[in-house]
Amino acid sequence: MKEQSMSRRHFLTGAATVGAAAVAAPALLASCSGSGNKLTPLKKEGEYYVPELPDKAIDGRELKVGLVGCGGRGSGAIINLLDAANGITVVALGDVFADRLNDVRERLKNERGQEVPEDKCFVGFDAYKQVIDSGIDMVILTTPPVFRPEMFKYATEKGVHSFLEKPIAVDPKGYRSVMATAKQALAKGLSVVVGTQRHHERRYVEANKQIQAGLIGEITGGNVYWNQGMLWYRQREEGWTDMEWNIRDWVNWKWLSGDHIIEQHVHNIDVFLWMSGLKPVSATAFGSRQRRVTGDQYDFFSTDFTMENGIHMHSMCRQIDGCSSKVSEFIQGSKGSWDSETNEIKDLQGNVIWKYDEEKAKQEFQLHDPYTLEHVDWVNHIRKGTAHEEATDNAISCMAGIMGREAAYTGQTVTWDEMTQSPQDFLPEKLELGPLDLASMTVPVPGK
Amino acid sequence: MNNHKKHSSSGEKKRSHYLLATLGGTCFGVVLVLAALYTSNVTSTNESCAACHVHPDAETSWKQSPHFANESGVQTDCAACHLPPEGTAHYYWAKATTGLRDAWMYLTHDKEDFDWESKRTVEYAPSIVYNESCKKCHTNIFPQGITDDGVAAHLYYEENEEKLGLQCVSCHLDAGHFIAGYKHEKMTSAPVDTTGPVVTEPATVTSFSNFTETIPGTRASISMIAVPGGKFTMGSQKGDKFSRPDEYPAHEVTVSPFFMAEMEVTWDQYWAFYAETMSEGRTKPETIYANNSRPDVDAVSGPTPPFGMPDQGWGMGSRPAITMTHYAAETFCQWLSLKTGRHYRLPTEAEWEYAARGGTDTPYFFEGKPSAYSSEGLWNSIFGTDTTTINRYAIYALNSKSRTQEPSRVAANPFGLRNMLGNVMEYCQDWYAEDAYEKAGTNAVDPKGPASGTDYVVRGGCYNDDASELRCAARRHSDYEAWLKTDPQNPKSIWWLSDIKGIGFRVVCDNFTK
Repeated sequence: MKEQSMSRRHFLTGAATVGAAAVAAPALLASCSGSGNKLTPLKKEGEYYVPELPDKAIDGRELKVGLVGCGGRGSGAIINLLDAANGITVVALGDVFADRLNDVRERLKNERGQEVPEDKCFVGFDAYKQVIDSGIDMVILTTPPVFRPEMFKYATEKGVHSFLEKPIAVDPKGYRSVMATAKQALAKGLSVVVGTQRHHERRYVEANKQIQAGLIGEITGGNVYWNQGMLWYRQREEGWTDMEWNIRDWVNWKWLSGDHIIEQHVHNIDVFLWMSGLKPVSATAFGSRQRRVTGDQYDFFSTDFTMENGIHMHSMCRQIDGCSSKVSEFIQGSKGSWDSETNEIKDLQGNVIWKYDEEKAKQEFQLHDPYTLEHVDWVNHIRKGTAHEEATDNAISCMAGIMGREAAYTGQTVTWDEMTQSPQDFLPEKLELGPLDLASMTVPVPGK
Repeated sequence: MNNHKKHSSSGEKKRSHYLLATLGGTCFGVVLVLAALYTSNVTSTNESCAACHVHPDAETSWKQSPHFANESGVQTDCAACHLPPEGTAHYYWAKATTGLRDAWMYLTHDKEDFDWESKRTVEYAPSIVYNESCKKCHTNIFPQGITDDGVAAHLYYEENEEKLGLQCVSCHLDAGHFIAGYKHEKMTSAPVDTTGPVVTEPATVTSFSNFTETIPGTRASISMIAVPGGKFTMGSQKGDKFSRPDEYPAHEVTVSPFFMAEMEVTWDQYWAFYAETMSEGRTKPETIYANNSRPDVDAVSGPTPPFGMPDQGWGMGSRPAITMTHYAAETFCQWLSLKTGRHYRLPTEAEWEYAARGGTDTPYFFEGKPSAYSSEGLWNSIFGTDTTTINRYAIYALNSKSRTQEPSRVAANPFGLRNMLGNVMEYCQDWYAEDAYEKAGTNAVDPKGPASGTDYVVRGGCYNDDASELRCAARRHSDYEAWLKTDPQNPKSIWWLSDIKGIGFRVVCDNFTK
């Protein structure tokens, strides 16, 4: 939070400087190719986080890891971690479903020669407590996101380092919980990394350095996109309870995923918030459902965010087959713009004034996969003993997603103040593989 | 050579003198610094503080507070909160000025003369508790085990600390010294008066004279005074001491006869209303507005449960009800009208001032000048103020003990109305405008103030005001941003105010021919 407000001050003083420069020497702006033209940084080096991204985590003490959530992302994340560092032992697994857990257990045994003992494999809604209590140093939390705040809280109470797959909050109550836990984690010297892997992706990290150095000038707006085809779904099978069906089909149910504006699109919203250091103050949005087969979510959202200094950021996300795809972020500045689609920065005349040097990076490093690099960074913080947490920033990005979702669902403009204090809480009081009130899970109709 | 030697030996001598002086100086300096540090440390102990702070309640209440009685066994000393963080320049400055002030007060005042209660109010406490000192120890305001409500409130604090001037003691006033009845105990039901019979009929009014309204279905009653109509001069005369621009120009106003409650609405009356109309917590304002504005509404939606005890632990009964919003006061009137079949409402600003003056045209309805009663100004602040007459008629800063008082404490004005001045400020139905009097015209009859606005007129001053605020002509207005600054809910409560205590209201009735 402190960092946020600091960046805003920088922004404002910077804006004045640029304004003066624009009046005094408009010609200089035209030849903004860097040489001889002093840039006004948005943040100075050292005032914002730049991860070290070596090919492998440093060696050090042996670390024991647990995995909670053995689905697709969980099984990927545990392998990413083992790729990222030596001296890691997987000692416990947890999931609601035994079949998913066994898949990961088999994979670890066959691919990595790591055998998780039978008595450290926990099945059920409380599995996370058992995993965290099995003497681990670090835990990977990759269940559907509605469960994340409680699990993060428990891990932090027990002094365990967390890797939190994004998103990390899908409702205001979860947001508040994560905000508090993040502070506690930092106070305890823990390392908390979030699976918004763009923060550990070389081309984004390099672009951010340029933007913070002032290459595009003051940020004046942005557009972020996640438009893709239909996402996977699962039809109900014979013998499944309501809860089992919901969880196996979780990306289509708003209480579990928060809807795709958060579940998936939070990546892109997060990039704008990260680089601008701004929070949204209000959101106006629309969205609807056209093709989805299961669940109660929308197929697309379009959201206009007003940021705290008055600039706007537009976000769109769509999951419909047969339409153009576009997953990227674009940031407009007073001197130029950056586009993650091309990894270029252009001046206001359209000249490319910077481009991410992929060849150079390839010569310098072997490892470029951000999903592995984020684990390299996580392990390095743990082994160096440096407290680090990314949960606060990501919770704010999730809250932006929540604002967009609620604005679209209701048709009303919603505000930051209103949503951060809202009592909305998606987590059911009773967690068991039993019936749910499916009749109440209807697709929201705006204006009603 | 010799010369040279001599020269050099005298040089050595000089050097050794110099060395000695430096050494001596350094030693002296070190001793001085050590002595100063020692003095500073010794005078920062609890014993040192208690040597002058002879009010035993301070120590008792500290020992009952979480800064003494807690699970961790850590005790927080006087200086940890009542001085800035140790070692800073601010610390030494505050220590010196506080010490001098305290020594002066100790030598020149009698401890019995102090109003210790007033030092423990949210208005005063921030001047003797240093927020940076709170934060020095409480580095993480989201500790393990914090509730969701706590997180919500602290996120609100972080985001609004500078904007609204929030401090830790704004909400945690009892952190260092226990205060009986200080919130966080939740009110479960309305503390309704259960003595006496429940009435079934409203009062019967046959003539324009004083009567006691009875509210069917409750035990509450309201003493109503018949206020004769008439003409008066509203506002201040040029040159009136303490008058403000919004009190000009003085202008003639005619007011029709009306009934006005003898006293500010009491807790007994307000709880009767609450018990019958309470809305569930977090009912959306739109839902309430929609219900209450239906023309055929027969059951109004009233206040949601307050956070903590809204009487501040001062007592209920016939003390004025406080901390309600203007909307809540209006809804009370709406409810009272439905219950009695008579039209009750808040007074207009003109009615209020006419009633307060009670036929007089002096600054107060009683004898005496603001300049004599006010504590402002050098003379009065040194030699004290005249309190003999004002003491009979008004509850204000010098006689309130920092809280509202029972209405029986004061004598009525010429119309028979009590507490028109002092005790609590009272809502009027008019919108406030600074230039309202300029636009009032001459010889207005029953004026109702501006057609629209953002704040409402409040009148009459309150228990912690200086006498200058109690003048019949003094105008003030609601200020919801300040009055709700620590309410972390969004939307903020439309019923209860979190950051003002001296606000209440009284009702008038203008349709009495039932």
